[in-house]
Amino acid sequence: MVMRGWSMPHKLSQIISWPEQQAKAKDFLDQKGWPDNRQEAWKYTSLAHLREQQFLPANGFEKLASSASVEGLEGLMIEISGGIARLHDGQSLPEGISICDISTDDSARAAIFTRLADDHLLPALSALHQTSAIAIDIEKPALSASIPPIILNITGGDKDTACYPLVMVRVHKGTTARIAEIHSSQAGLACPLMVYDVADEAALHHIRLQAEADHTTHLGLNQMQMGKNSQINSFAISMGGALSRLETHSLFLGTDSALAQSAIYLGRDRQHHDITSFVAHELRDCHSRQLIRGVLDDKARGVFQGKVRVAPDAQKTDGQQMSRALLLSRDAEADAKPELEIFADDVVCSHGATVGELDENLMFYLKSRGIAEAEARNMLIDAFLIDTLEEIEDAGFAAFMAAQIAKWSAANR
Amino acid sequence: MNLLEIKNLHVSIGDTKILHGINLTINRGEVHAIMGPNGSGKSTLSYVLSGRDGYEVTEGEILLDGQSVLEMEADERARAGMFLAFQYPVELPGVSGMSFLRAAVNARRREAGEDEVDQLEFVKLVRAAAADLGVDNDMLKRAVNVGFSGGEKKRYEILQMALLQPSLAVLDETDSGLDVDALKIVSHGVNAQRGASCGMLVITHYQRLLSHIVPDYVHILAGGRIIKSGDKSLALEVEENGYAGLVDAA
Repeated sequence: MVMRGWSMPHKLSQIISWPEQQAKAKDFLDQKGWPDNRQEAWKYTSLAHLREQQFLPANGFEKLASSASVEGLEGLMIEISGGIARLHDGQSLPEGISICDISTDDSARAAIFTRLADDHLLPALSALHQTSAIAIDIEKPALSASIPPIILNITGGDKDTACYPLVMVRVHKGTTARIAEIHSSQAGLACPLMVYDVADEAALHHIRLQAEADHTTHLGLNQMQMGKNSQINSFAISMGGALSRLETHSLFLGTDSALAQSAIYLGRDRQHHDITSFVAHELRDCHSRQLIRGVLDDKARGVFQGKVRVAPDAQKTDGQQMSRALLLSRDAEADAKPELEIFADDVVCSHGATVGELDENLMFYLKSRGIAEAEARNMLIDAFLIDTLEEIEDAGFAAFMAAQIAKWSAANR
Repeated sequence: MNLLEIKNLHVSIGDTKILHGINLTINRGEVHAIMGPNGSGKSTLSYVLSGRDGYEVTEGEILLDGQSVLEMEADERARAGMFLAFQYPVELPGVSGMSFLRAAVNARRREAGEDEVDQLEFVKLVRAAAADLGVDNDMLKRAVNVGFSGGEKKRYEILQMALLQPSLAVLDETDSGLDVDALKIVSHGVNAQRGASCGMLVITHYQRLLSHIVPDYVHILAGGRIIKSGDKSLALEVEENGYAGLVDAA
């Protein structure tokens, strides 16, 4: 996986202007087109099926679907659909949160894209086709109770449309923010770009659910950068869509910070789920911890590509990554490509990947107690996922994500 | 009607024939012991009764309450009243003990057309049954069998049996790995389940268990056949003379 553009922003001499960014993006897409298995970064996830497809940009106003996917979440809801990004009716902004439409703000967008990986499909798509763009600032007011969670409810579209929303979230110094990204779009192609900036001494609790339509191709990029003494607790579930790729690019820009970033993918029928993660330890004394679990039934396919890079200055890095996939069917397939790139000598890093099936001995034990096949399977699936779910620190988020898994399992009978 | 009737049962695993025509009838209220040397087919018998995959019945019949169980899955047989106490209970990391026990009890109750068990009521029920077997709260809170000692696993099996109230309990080498004290607790638990409504098949290598769980009938299994049947004195005979004499005589 080539990831240029990961140099430290403070070393960047200048911000590349928005028109220039767009021109670069156009050149990139014209030259490379939709990648297939011949490109290393897309070895397990080909996008060749998009070559023949034309999508209409989802620019106009669309009726905002009342999405069942956010049921169980409470907080400030921002609805993003087609070209629209707005506060849910009747809600007002609490103190500490501000939202700004940056869909015509060239300098804001230029600043955001300058920090993203260049020579990369997902930022290029977003730069060229953006359908909406907002920036959210979260800053702890001097005298205030906690800030409510923010729910990004990303819906709408139909199979002929493509949506490319951009959300920039800045969690200011010393602030703790909670953000839920709920992707339940019906678009043919959904390319959300989410950029998180967690400042010094700030903390972010983050969940991301991808529960899109059966026909959706989902290409998501979450870029997260962290200041000194900051914390991120992030958890993603990928369970919808026909083909889905979530890339996370996480960058430590200060010392003494901790990233817990785990993910679960749940696949059935002919679904394809790809979790591709890149963690860059640039400075010393930072910790990253990632647990990835996948459950695949029928002819579903799961991919985890995880790269951890430890720069020469990043001494005392602790980087842990473990991926496990559970195949429920002989026709399901899981691939994992963990990579460590370590340039510092005083670090603790580990990674591993396993693929297994349900243990027949455990199944027999449960069945011998009268528990029917489907229920026994679901008990073992839950058991396989439970320690990963326990990574979620926020109780409300944890309950919401557990309920999503239960929904998936309930359809398993 | 007989509780369990095994008629001319032949069982193979792959191409290997393990059981060569077993005949055995168990009535409610009876405790039968099956003794035999290693490799005689004891565990195969317990697995084929409980419906484990991979054991092919090539001939014969197994009837529970007059109904053939051969076409029934393991879970259906369990819901029909069969229970196997495992020789080696498996660990289920991530599966909470309480929800496992509740799932098992509810499966039985649904089959019987009863309502699912009330959650609070169930906790009380489990605690009471557990106390009798020296299963403490800490064990109940853990994942099923995870971190349990050999003796704890066996006590947990008997706890499940107490909660499920089977009509036929098959105890596979329940004494293996138990010290004298644990053996007493487990035997006490099993004896508490004896009664007119339940039949038991106790599979063991040693006579030791049978001085605690006194059988009504003893059968010697060797080479996949029952070569001798008798009362509890047959177990003592085995203790005295070993299996060799019996096997040679047969």
